[in-house]
Amino acid sequence: MQNRFLPYLLTLPSLFLAAVVIFWPVWDLIQISTHEVSRFGQLRDFNDFANFAALAADPDFTAALWRTGQWTVMVVGGALLLSIPVAMILNTDFYGRGIARVIIMLPWAVSLTMTAVVWRWALSGESGMLNSALIGLGLIDHNIQWLASAETAFPMQVLIGILVTVPFTTTIFLGGLSSIPDDLYEAAALEGATPLQQFREITFPLLKPFINIAIVLNTIYVFNSFPIIWVMTQGGPANSTDILVTHLYKLAFRIGKLGEASAVSLVMFAILLVFTMIYVRLAMREQRT
Amino acid sequence: MSLAKWTVGLMAGMSMLAIAAQADAGEVRVTVAEYSAKTAPYFADVKKEFEAANPGISVKFEVVPWDVLLQKLTTDITAGTNADLSIIGTRWLIDFVQQDVAEPLDGYIKPDFKDRFIDTFLSPSIMDGKTYGLPIAASARAMYYNKELFEKAGIAKPPATWTELQEDARKIKALGSGTFGFGLQGKEIETDVYYYYAMWSQGTEILNKDGTSGLSTPGALEAAKLYKSMIDEGLTEPGVTSNNREDVQNLFKQGKVGMMITAPFLSNQIKDEAPNLKYGVAAIPAGPTGARGTYGVTDSIIMFKNSKNKDEAWKLLDFLFTTEQRAKFTQGEGFLPVNKEEAKMDYYVNNADLAAFTALLPDARFAPVIPGWEEVAQITSDAMQKIYLGGDPEAGLKDAAAKANTVLKK
Repeated sequence: MQNRFLPYLLTLPSLFLAAVVIFWPVWDLIQISTHEVSRFGQLRDFNDFANFAALAADPDFTAALWRTGQWTVMVVGGALLLSIPVAMILNTDFYGRGIARVIIMLPWAVSLTMTAVVWRWALSGESGMLNSALIGLGLIDHNIQWLASAETAFPMQVLIGILVTVPFTTTIFLGGLSSIPDDLYEAAALEGATPLQQFREITFPLLKPFINIAIVLNTIYVFNSFPIIWVMTQGGPANSTDILVTHLYKLAFRIGKLGEASAVSLVMFAILLVFTMIYVRLAMREQRT
Repeated sequence: MSLAKWTVGLMAGMSMLAIAAQADAGEVRVTVAEYSAKTAPYFADVKKEFEAANPGISVKFEVVPWDVLLQKLTTDITAGTNADLSIIGTRWLIDFVQQDVAEPLDGYIKPDFKDRFIDTFLSPSIMDGKTYGLPIAASARAMYYNKELFEKAGIAKPPATWTELQEDARKIKALGSGTFGFGLQGKEIETDVYYYYAMWSQGTEILNKDGTSGLSTPGALEAAKLYKSMIDEGLTEPGVTSNNREDVQNLFKQGKVGMMITAPFLSNQIKDEAPNLKYGVAAIPAGPTGARGTYGVTDSIIMFKNSKNKDEAWKLLDFLFTTEQRAKFTQGEGFLPVNKEEAKMDYYVNNADLAAFTALLPDARFAPVIPGWEEVAQITSDAMQKIYLGGDPEAGLKDAAAKANTVLKK
């Protein structure tokens, strides 16, 4: 009998921790988002989901929601596409591999905010490094105002997002690659498989669980990523580079609509929860078959 | 770490908590905004001097960057862990008063204390006849111009009207070599204010007399068209919407911009960073009818209603608003004097830059004291950014006025 309860007993401490760290704030958010709330967070009356209705009617929110989707797909997708070859190169044995690995990992060691600040300077129209480099190379003949409009600002933000996501993703893939035994490749080579066939038939299938975990974790990080967009454009000009987190921040701390901001936060939580559940389900089913 | 060590550590931690709780009795906590690199050292000195003069009271200053000040206050107040005193933007004061978190100071203010202040700066902190804050920082805006560029372009004196400003900007643009006539701010804090300078000169106010938004008036449209035409003609720096106030100030310091409107602290920055720049400070240009307006700003220091050390906190306020302390703070930060005695000091009387600012004070407008002001400002900034990016001024302003009016009606 004792044995049957033991597992539950043993998971109790971590369940308790999770409750304090996760469930309690979520409960608080639900409270705030369904009530009328003062400028400083004092709860008033229940307000029939007026905060959610206000969101649905707000074109800035729907635009930010759509943009968050684009942002997440492009950054996560770009980082994955870039990380697989990088990890495969770093997994081969070559002179100076240690240094190469350190260089790839370096962006990870720098705080995201600092990276964004440096890029903001680099992309400055009149005194930015990128413009002077491009002019020096003869690629452009006048300064580009990178951050002046969303057409140039948002793609640059996506590129920087990819750049800072690559180190983590590469680390996951390196772990995956080192778990593939070398004799598989030796056998394949003996049978006359080309490198491309080896990749398609051995590397990719065996890497799949790692790709799955990279997709789930990166999606959660990138979806919630605040510093790059905030530091470079604050979601502007005219909210044209806003994603949900920056929109939420403005709602809460600029304008003081804590109720609506909590509602945005819950929507984000729900989206990520649903995504993670569906994805984990799909990935697991695939593995079982 | 062994269990015994953990226990020792835990107990040490708990005893420290106990000590901290005891120290609370005579401790005054103050949240202050970090205006510049000089802010924290100034308040460190205040702590030393004040504690030496008032044994038994200890002071703790929390220096917070401006950008996150409102966020910190919101979270602190929500959690009930706010300090005893805090610096806030005076335009936020109405929220603090309506939510009943600010303590009226009238009980402490003696007539001679009140008499220390210049009325223009104290009055924004008075609401419903009660004084809720004391102006710790005051500022206004005026136009900086680059004398060297003016000379090269053959311009004798700074422009008195916006039409003259446009002509001067054309002449400066004609100099070529990466110089821009007029520095126009189009990003982040005070993007809306930069537009108001042109709007006020058209005789339009932020709020109409009936309390609705002034953005749908013909004057507002004229002002937006003026800026847009200057952008289209290339009289401003390129990429207006990527330049915040600091970016435009940096262009000015580099000698690339002929004219810009900003606060007195730019003089201090130029002294430190570009001492060879020849510049002057002039009034903000007037409109066709001679109307003009500058933006007046004060930050207030307020006492929280839930403070447990109100008497000690007041002693600190009294100390902060002595002429000597005021002069030290104001001159370090490059603000305007709020204290009458202080304003008579040689430093201010003989300072041509500051004289230009104080001369504009009769034309100063403060942010309207209405709930939801931050949202109206945000709506205006967004509308301006759209127009600066090439949007239609008339449609943009109409849309913004409608949005602002829904906020104002609440």
